[in-house]
Formats: sequence, C-alpha cells, structure tokens
Amino acid sequence: MLQVENTLFTIVMLTYFAAMILYFAFIAVKRDGLAKAALILQAAGFILHTEALVCRGIGAGRLPMTNQYEFATAFAWGLCLVSLIFVVRFKFPVLGAFAAPVIFLIIGYAAMQSREVKALMPALRSNWLGFHVSTAIIAYGAFGVSFVLSVIFLMRDRMKAQGFLDQHIPNKEKLDLISYRSVSLGLLFLTFTILTGAIWAERAWGSYWSWDPKETWSLVTWIIYAMYLHLRIRRGWNGRAAAIFAAVGFVCVMFTYIGVNVLLPGVHSYA
Amino acid sequence: MKKIWKFLSSMKFAIILLAVLALACSAASLITQGQSYEWYARQYSERTAALIVALHLDDAFHSAWFLLINAFLCVNLLFCNLLRLPQLIARTKAEADPARAIETEGTAQAGPVRDPGRVFKRLRMPNPISTATADGREALFSSAHRAGLWGAWVCHLGILLLILGFGLGQMTQRQYTVYGVPGQTRPIGDTGYLLTIDDFEVGLRPDDTVEQYTADITVRDVDGRGSQSASVSVNNPASLYGMKFYQNSTGWAAKINVQKDGAPLQDDVVCAGEYLAVKDKPELVVFFSAFYPDYVMTPGVGPSTATGALKNPAYLYQVYYKEQLLGMNVLMPEEELTIDEYTVTFTDPQNYTLIQIKVDHFTWLALIGGLLTMLGLILAFYVQPARVWAMKGDAGWTIHGLSRKGGALFRDRLIAAAREEDADASS
Ligand code: HEM
Repeated sequence: MLQVENTLFTIVMLTYFAAMILYFAFIAVKRDGLAKAALILQAAGFILHTEALVCRGIGAGRLPMTNQYEFATAFAWGLCLVSLIFVVRFKFPVLGAFAAPVIFLIIGYAAMQSREVKALMPALRSNWLGFHVSTAIIAYGAFGVSFVLSVIFLMRDRMKAQGFLDQHIPNKEKLDLISYRSVSLGLLFLTFTILTGAIWAERAWGSYWSWDPKETWSLVTWIIYAMYLHLRIRRGWNGRAAAIFAAVGFVCVMFTYIGVNVLLPGVHSYA
Repeated sequence: MKKIWKFLSSMKFAIILLAVLALACSAASLITQGQSYEWYARQYSERTAALIVALHLDDAFHSAWFLLINAFLCVNLLFCNLLRLPQLIARTKAEADPARAIETEGTAQAGPVRDPGRVFKRLRMPNPISTATADGREALFSSAHRAGLWGAWVCHLGILLLILGFGLGQMTQRQYTVYGVPGQTRPIGDTGYLLTIDDFEVGLRPDDTVEQYTADITVRDVDGRGSQSASVSVNNPASLYGMKFYQNSTGWAAKINVQKDGAPLQDDVVCAGEYLAVKDKPELVVFFSAFYPDYVMTPGVGPSTATGALKNPAYLYQVYYKEQLLGMNVLMPEEELTIDEYTVTFTDPQNYTLIQIKVDHFTWLALIGGLLTMLGLILAFYVQPARVWAMKGDAGWTIHGLSRKGGALFRDRLIAAAREEDADASS
C-alpha cells in the first residue's frame, strides 16, 4: 500500500505541475480553453491525491495526518480542494492560476519530508486528533486561498484596464467579498481546530490550554483574522488594507505550521 | 461618562485590544517562559533580563497585565452585546416587516418577470406574502435567514463565556499528582481522599514501542465511607468524586533491599529519582538515579537504554553519607553494593505510574463558550439575512432585494435568477 502511495504521490506532483504550466499558458496565450484544461487536470490530480492519502491511511493503519510529511501533503490537498471549489463557484480561473504555484510549493515541501511510517505514541491515539487535523487542513487551505486572493487584489490596480486579466478578474468589490468568503471559511474551521485540539489536549494531557507555542500561535492567527473581520466592517477601511491583513494572516498560518516547529519547542513538536 | 461607556463598548476599542493581545501572545511565545533572571541574563543581556523580569514577560500568561487585557476584552464584549441587544431585537422585527422593507431602496434590482414566485424559489426565499406598496400596487415580500443577524452577537457572547470559563478555571483549579506501583496507596494532596493503584500496565507493540499506558485505580475517602474505581489510560481520563484523573506519565521503580551484617534490614519500593535513607543510619542515603530496562554502555556517551522493553535491566545509583557523595555506579541485577556493614541490592524492576488529578469547576463554561463561538460564526458567515420583494408594474413584476452581507454577490444572484426565469418563461 505504501508503495502504491509513493507512486501515486509522484504522479500527483507531476499532475499539479502540468496543471500549473497550463494555467500559466492560459494567462500567457490568453486562451480560455487552456484554463478549462488546467482545471480538469488539477481536478484529476486532486482525485489521485485523495487516493494517495487513502492508501497511506490504509498502509499505516491510521489517519494519515500525524507527521510533517503527512500533514504537508494533506495541506496541499486541502488547498487544492478549496481552490477548486472557489474557482468553480465564482467562475474564476485566474484564481486557479495563482493558487497552482502555492499548491506546488507545499507538495514540494512534503516531498522533502521523511515518509517513514512511525508507530503513534499513546497521546496521539485519539479520535479527536482526526477532527483536529482534518479541520486544520480545511482551515489552512481556505487561508491559502484568501492569501492568493489578497495577492490578486493588491495586483489588480496595476493591470491594464480592458486587458485580458482585467476582464478575467472580478472587480474589487467582488474580490473583497470572495476573499471574505474564504477567510470566513478558514476562521470557522480554525475555531473548530482549536476547539477540538483543546478537547483532545484535555484528555491527553489533563489541560485544555497550556500556552504551548503552537497553541499560542494558532490563537495569534485566529486574532489576526478576527481583526480582519472587524476592520473590514469599519467604514473608512478600504479593501486594500483588509487584503494586506489577510496576507499577514497567512504568514502567521505558515509560522504556526512550520516556524513554531523549527524555532519554538513544545508538545506539538511531532506535527 | 457617556463617552467612556461608548468607548468601552466600541469596536475600535475591540480592535485595539485584539492587536495588543496578539502582540503580547507572540512576544511571550518567543521568550522562553518560566526561567530565572540568571537564565535570561545568560541568554540575552543583563538589561534585557531585568526588563523581562520587570514586565513579567517570564510568566506573561499569568501576569497582571495579561489578566487586565482580558478583563478589558470581557468588559468590551459585555458592553457591546448589552448595547446591541435592543437594536438587534428591533432589527430582527424590522427585517420581517414588509411595509418597512419595501420603503427601503434595495441593493439589487431586476426584472420585469412574469412569475415572481418562481424567482423567489430560485433565490431560496421562503413563503412570499402578498402585500401592497404605499401607492397601492400589488407586491410580494419574503424575508429569510434572520438568524444570521445574531451571528456576531452569539459569537461575542461565546468568546466572553470562554474567557470567563478559562480565567475562573485558572484561578480556582487545583492539581495534584500521585505516583506509585501497583499495591501502593497515597493521599491525594489535602483533599481527604486516598488513591490506590490497583494495577498498571504498559502495553507494548511487537516492535517494543509503547501503545498505551493503563492504570486501574481506586479512590476512597480517608474515613473509609465507600470507594470508587476506574481504569485510566492516555486519552481516557476518569472522573471520581468530582475530580478528574489522568494517566500522565510513567517511570521505573525497583525494590531496594538492605541487609546489615547479613540480616535483612529493609525492603522498600523506590522510584527512579527517589532517595532511600538507611533505616538505622539515616545519614547514609542511597539515591536511585536512573534505570535502564535494556542497558547499553556506549563509550564516550555513557549508559543508556536501547529500547523500552525489560530485556537487560541495570540500575544507576549514588551513595551519600552526610550529603557527601561516596560513589556512583551501575548495578546489574545480581550485583551487590557493599558499604561497611550494609549490603544493598536492587531487584524487581517494575513500572510506576504518575496520575495527575485535577479539579476545575469551570471547564463546562469554557466549553459552552467555545460552542457558542462556533455557532455564532456559522450564523454570521453562512446565514445571510436577505429580503426580496416583487412589485407589480405594467410590464410585469420587478424584483428587488437587499442583503448587506451578500453585497455584489447577492446582486448577481438576484439578477441571474430573474434572467433565468425570464428565459424559462419565454422558451
Ligand atoms: C473584544 C471585543 C469585541 C467587540 C466589542 C466586537 C464588536 C463587534 C461589532 C460591533 C461587530 C459588528 C456586528 C455587525 O455589524 O453586525 C462585530 C462583528 C463581528 N465580530 Fe466582533 N467584537 C469583538 C471581538 C470579536 C472576536 C474576538 C471575534 C472572533 C472571531 C469576533 C467575531 C465577530 C464576527 C464573526 C463578526 C461578524 C462579522 C461579519 O459578519 O462579517 N468579534 N464585532
């Protein structure tokens, strides 16, 4: 099973890469057909990716979300899922084009991690862990999409009026609303992640919140996005500032995910 | 006075507080918590260390200023919610009132269409009611998802309860630890309860990694009026007598047997890390400093254990006399340690368990707070209040809609729904 997963993973990476190239070609050549092809390829990659995760789960005999490799590939999967949903729902292929390199970067990061299957320590053997990590994947994926949307928003002013991109990107009001949809999806799932994490920590360690660096940074991330929500409501704040905030939020997400493990020790050091 | 009240309940103050809280948390996570002045002085500089200690950054999450930020946040949330409650009730009523809705300008307009009922259906607006405009024209009105108006309010209430539950828990909770090997009974702090460890099992997988730690425990009160038993393992705590018991950690214990001139003197179970004073000569102390279940000696590194399984046990001890170190070494099971007339042997290695006991009367409040926060977010994000009304004109019905949350996206949906209806009707 793990052998199958290994092969599938490589195919998934190549598929995402090909989808990314097609997306770039769509923008370079300005042909809508290419965007459709890229989207189909990305969706195919996503289905294979899902199979790879299932194989890993069967091979390891547990949820495949407990170490850096597994979480990184699941993160790429979550980002792919949320970006597909947003691309289709808002008919917004340019979003797919901007998200593709981020997905590829994250799956590339996964490829660099050790794929060894290790037995779980007792504290990690909990159903709450499943909820905790799977909600985190959706939250991170949604925040990834809002990051990409912020980048598009901030670049929008520089685009030639009536140009190809200008016509394929919603106006700023709609961009802001779509970004709000992705941030709110992310914040809802981050709240769920923190809540299930707290319930799990209480059962495993006897304390539902202990200011471990990863907990603290997930709270900081949560606060940043809460501020984004309020700043967005307040009049006088234009979309630009909100977009910058959403981008900063994703930097916090990445710090919580990678930076904390590397720089700050704590009980989360295994994932 | 009114100004202060207004500021304390304002969203501006909320944003400031949230920013301060985020900064405080990130600063505190970057500075290792709970160290001494000397430690910080070594790590940074004396000036920085003095600053860290003066600002309580060494224990930021329990400092007075951190508490103060949270107290302000609670006041802010409470005032904001109190202030908004009457407004919200009024708005919820107004949203459902066709007369008032129709007077307002919609944010979206489309039409004319022939069958407005089908447009309402497409927009998933339930049960449009017949009404009339001010100038007497026929009209239809539907208001939906008013619960969404309450999202922020419920979310804020949830956060308030969450902070209160956590804070009260921190202030009033009590924690104890009891450790021992099966058969031992120890008091649980000052609670008046005794904890007996009936059994303790370390479940190993075939590759000798640990799968689970399980302790069977019995708790009885000192007066012996009854008892309660439970099995606790990692991720499966138990509640007995209003206290919660967690399987926290484990370690090794062994029997230390002391003989004097060949005659048995004492036989005690001692956990690794504990001291044993010789019975008739308390100045003589044996310190059981470490246990290696699968002993290996690596030159240049020292003693260690290869696996967690009991395959090749060895004991590391130190001997003190009047607090002077006499010697230290590793003892194998059959080896004896002789100090003058005393002979010491280590036998029967076994796992001890460390049980953590916690009493927190406010966890439920924090949990309710957390759930309300979730519920509030779902309402705020996914239940978008919307009003749609149709007015009859000469060419058909014009469709109007208003959704503050939905904005341009709602406008698109409304226009699309009207257009689809139009296309359907003409085909
Ligand atoms: C600390 C004190 C806080 C105050 C005084 C405050 C105040 C407010 C106010 C006045 C609104 C406007 C509601 C509206 O126009 O419908 C609002 C919206 C909201 N607040 Fe807060 N807030 C606070 C903290 C938070 C926090 C920590 C969160 C965490 C996520 C939060 C989540 C929300 C949400 C979800 C909304 C609705 C936003 C939307 O629907 O776009 N608030 N808040």
